[in-house]
Amino acid sequence: MSDHHHKETFITKYIFSTDHKMIAKQFLITGMFMALVGMLMSAVFRVQLANPGEYSVLYNLLPGGWISEDGALNPDKYLALVTMHGTILVFWVLTAGLSGTFANFLIPLQIGARDMASGFINMLSYWFFFIATVILMSSIYVEGGPASSGWTIYPPLSALPEAIPGSGTGMTLWLLSITLFVVGSLLGGLNYIVTILNLRTKGMSMQRMPLTCWALFVTAILGVLSFPVLLSCGLLLLFDRSFGTSFYLSDIIINGEALHYAGGSPILFEHLFWFLGHPEVYIILLPALGIVSEVIAVNSRKPIFGYKAMVGAILLIAFLSFIVWGHHMFMTGMNPFLGSVFTFTTLLIAIPSAVKVFNWLATLWRANIRFTPAMLFAIGTVSAFITGGLTGLILGDSALDINVHDTYFVVGHFHIVMGLSAIYGMYAGVYHWFPKMYGKMMNKTLGYMHFWTTFICAYGVFFPMHFLGLAGLPRRYYTNSSFPMFDGLSDINEIITFFALAGAVAQAIFIFNFVYSIFKGTKASKNPWKANTLEWTTPVERIHGNWPGELPVVTRWAYDYSKPGAEEDYIPQNVPLKEGEEEH
Amino acid sequence: MATIVENNAKKQLLWIGMGSIIMFFGGLTSAYIVRKPEGNWLEFVLPEYFTISTIIIVFSSIVLFFVKGQLRKNNSAFQLVLSVLLLGLLFTFFQFKGWQQLISQGIYLTGEGSNASGSFLYVLTLAHLVHLLGGLVALIYVTIQAKKNIFTTKDSLAIDLTSVYWHFLALLWLFLYALLNFY
Amino acid sequence: MTNLLIALVVFLTIAAMVQLVRVNELLSEITNKDTNEVTDEDNNQNGILFIIIGFGFLAFVIWQMITWDHLLLPPASSVHGAEIDGLMQVSMTLILVVFFALTPMLFYFAYKYRGKKENTAYFFAHNNRLEVAWTVIPTIVLTALIIYGLRTWDRAMNPDVSDATVIEVYSKQFDWTARYSGADNILGDANFRLVEGRNTLGVDINDEKAADDIVVREVHLPVNKPVLLKFRSRDVIHSAFLPHFRVQMNCVPGLSTQFAFTPTKTTAEMKENEGEDFEYVLLCNKICGSAHFNMQMKFVVESEEDYNKWINSQKTVQNTLTLK
Repeated sequence: MSDHHHKETFITKYIFSTDHKMIAKQFLITGMFMALVGMLMSAVFRVQLANPGEYSVLYNLLPGGWISEDGALNPDKYLALVTMHGTILVFWVLTAGLSGTFANFLIPLQIGARDMASGFINMLSYWFFFIATVILMSSIYVEGGPASSGWTIYPPLSALPEAIPGSGTGMTLWLLSITLFVVGSLLGGLNYIVTILNLRTKGMSMQRMPLTCWALFVTAILGVLSFPVLLSCGLLLLFDRSFGTSFYLSDIIINGEALHYAGGSPILFEHLFWFLGHPEVYIILLPALGIVSEVIAVNSRKPIFGYKAMVGAILLIAFLSFIVWGHHMFMTGMNPFLGSVFTFTTLLIAIPSAVKVFNWLATLWRANIRFTPAMLFAIGTVSAFITGGLTGLILGDSALDINVHDTYFVVGHFHIVMGLSAIYGMYAGVYHWFPKMYGKMMNKTLGYMHFWTTFICAYGVFFPMHFLGLAGLPRRYYTNSSFPMFDGLSDINEIITFFALAGAVAQAIFIFNFVYSIFKGTKASKNPWKANTLEWTTPVERIHGNWPGELPVVTRWAYDYSKPGAEEDYIPQNVPLKEGEEEH
Repeated sequence: MATIVENNAKKQLLWIGMGSIIMFFGGLTSAYIVRKPEGNWLEFVLPEYFTISTIIIVFSSIVLFFVKGQLRKNNSAFQLVLSVLLLGLLFTFFQFKGWQQLISQGIYLTGEGSNASGSFLYVLTLAHLVHLLGGLVALIYVTIQAKKNIFTTKDSLAIDLTSVYWHFLALLWLFLYALLNFY
Repeated sequence: MTNLLIALVVFLTIAAMVQLVRVNELLSEITNKDTNEVTDEDNNQNGILFIIIGFGFLAFVIWQMITWDHLLLPPASSVHGAEIDGLMQVSMTLILVVFFALTPMLFYFAYKYRGKKENTAYFFAHNNRLEVAWTVIPTIVLTALIIYGLRTWDRAMNPDVSDATVIEVYSKQFDWTARYSGADNILGDANFRLVEGRNTLGVDINDEKAADDIVVREVHLPVNKPVLLKFRSRDVIHSAFLPHFRVQMNCVPGLSTQFAFTPTKTTAEMKENEGEDFEYVLLCNKICGSAHFNMQMKFVVESEEDYNKWINSQKTVQNTLTLK
């Protein structure tokens, strides 16, 4: 990467930057903003679930027309809220906000490169994402409201505005937005892969790469292979909706009128959608797990246990993630044999996941743990991964899925693995790399307060949901009060809503800490955590091209913490081997 | 002057991008393969225009192969890339003619009398053409640069990238043509 | 007014946090220490918190299991359902054992190995035997679970339906209708284009198999007799969910799906255990529009005698649809 002496204007430095560190922060800020939006949406619909049909002051956040005259939330707008909540959190926050931030920020720094392979394509990836965001947000205000058929947008519900108002303009904008989002993601992913393959500094072999890089690398590969199928899926839906083709639609009467569609199958949509949908959750999870491996090693002052096995687990999880998608479709009437195959592959994916958990536990064993806020969240991630991962064994078993599919049992499971595990991983990443991103330290006490309140509230929200599911309560229900069999569940719903609102408020501690520290935080040193990876060898002020002089040369792996015979309890990757010292 | 590493990186960006495009068409192809045996599938003969366009795009690919030879002899690549560009435009023209023919045969994308087989044909060929437009843009750029005699054997990144992509588009079209004709 | 109060609370909370951070900063200036540096004191406090809150979480889990056990679905009211319940018991036991083994271990390690300045961590980078052990053991356990699960699934999905009463369950925004196949046990043909007026299911009244079909808005089933439910949908994807029978199947427009089961407990029996208000119910379990939360149909399981009385008093298609 040749010339870094070009003059920077405000526009090239902050808006159309091609510097990976700035682009990372653009993703982070946009991701955080969208997380707030998604979280507020969940606060609104949780209030409805606790006090069905009643007015709440939170409804003031909603556009006019979403509330009926007596102050109750409209049922179809409830569905709009859960749809947008899911869309925003799965794609905008946990994919773009997580990968977009940390892949962009860390990859060049951790492999010892000046920047990504193509800063221009990187810049484009953010701006596609930005425009996608604007379009998605604008869909909230159109007539009929935003998409309302669940973030999984199954047709015919998502194809027919007569079936639900949000399937009109709102759904069209959703499709447009997702298309731009996917293109942006692909542009990013291309860069991450190529940069890791080509721009590693001297001595940085793949076997010496930090686990975070491995995770981000494999995630990018997952993305470039699976996201395009969502595009083809969406393209056919677009044609059905806007041009009247019958790819997914057949034999439909709506509003008393028999429609012309013939020969299509909504199940085809489901196959194409989940072919992305399942790898997508690993696109979300793997970077979080990669971050956690790093944070745990640094703060345990010990190597991550079983580095090779961890890499192997990441690869195996990624490979298996392509052949499990049918477990989202057990109840579609698929050939039972096919269901058996998917059960088999799904339960297999538990094995590399278990290996990762055991390796983290072994890393903590006989460690000398430093509880930075990042470390707290990393441990939280492991706890949530254990909890949520185990309930996956129930859901992945087709026979058991018969009675828990689409109930709150599923909602509990995926929130614990994604809403807890992955989000905690994201928090861990922000707390851990904040000094590198902004040159300042975040306040430690506020970090502790944030973690413990979040940890308590989040489990308070999502663990009870398993019981709702085992009681037979379906998801995406506007209220549980229509069925006498669910009358006994209102206490649980109130408890969940209480923790949800408390947890939402607790995030203010983080927002405050984050914003305040950017401006008024104590100045950070170059390597406040005494970590080994290359990003900590760059100057605090952050420069274009990352290192002022030559690129560092790597002589060892990233995990020489408390190595016997060493002076300090850490040895950065670019420190040459001492005489007689053997590389691990 | 870009380094070899930088050039390799750009080429890999293209290769992985093409991998993504393959997955996109993979999704559409799977949909096609699954839908056809389900019945209610109108069989029809593909208009000959598509056969003509197939020959054209294959020919354009062959022409593109000779560009490297020209550069080695220190000649300008201009005439050859211009030919490829024109052939590409001709391909596009015949795709449109093919669609026109389909309509006159009564094979529609949608509406009264349409059928999934027709819908898929339009969507697949349209998707291919949209990606081909990207190739045409690249060819236009390369043609303009070639006129200025910019390319040498050592410095031909834009031509290399355009060639790889164009060959990819030709192969992709051959695949789609085979799928539509023989599956 | 409430808005004003909320704004005030938010403002005061932020002000409080600013003061907290300012105090922190002043402290660091006075004591000349970096207050953001993690001290042994911090490690101690957080380690202890992992014990208190971590084990508190586990206690909370146990509390939930005890307190809410009575809210869970009663034991299954079908043959395959009982097998599913057995599989669920085994699977749940397994995951609870693992959960209660690993989670305390995690929190305990966090506490036991909390950092102290004078300590050194133990450089333990890998151990192949451990890796093999904790790969092979889960594989064996999961394989056993998979085999058990697949056998249960196979039996649930491929039951013997030679004797089963065929009943169509038809879903639309936002209700259910059922159609018994009548004496010939064959459903008459139906097509969505034939839906008109009272013929809400689009039954082909010219098909002789349809003449004895019976259309109802409440389903009665004879106990201990197999029934084959066939599903259709008029508009969007719905899902027929009968939680007490452990039955669920998507209803997809343009396709037909089915699920066969044998009910084993009458509604009367269930009322004895679950209370007078108990009813078997069919719910919609796939997002289908604004009233998705209120698509229900009652199912009644009764003795064969009662069932025969009921079904013989219902009108057939011949009598309801063809009479003008």
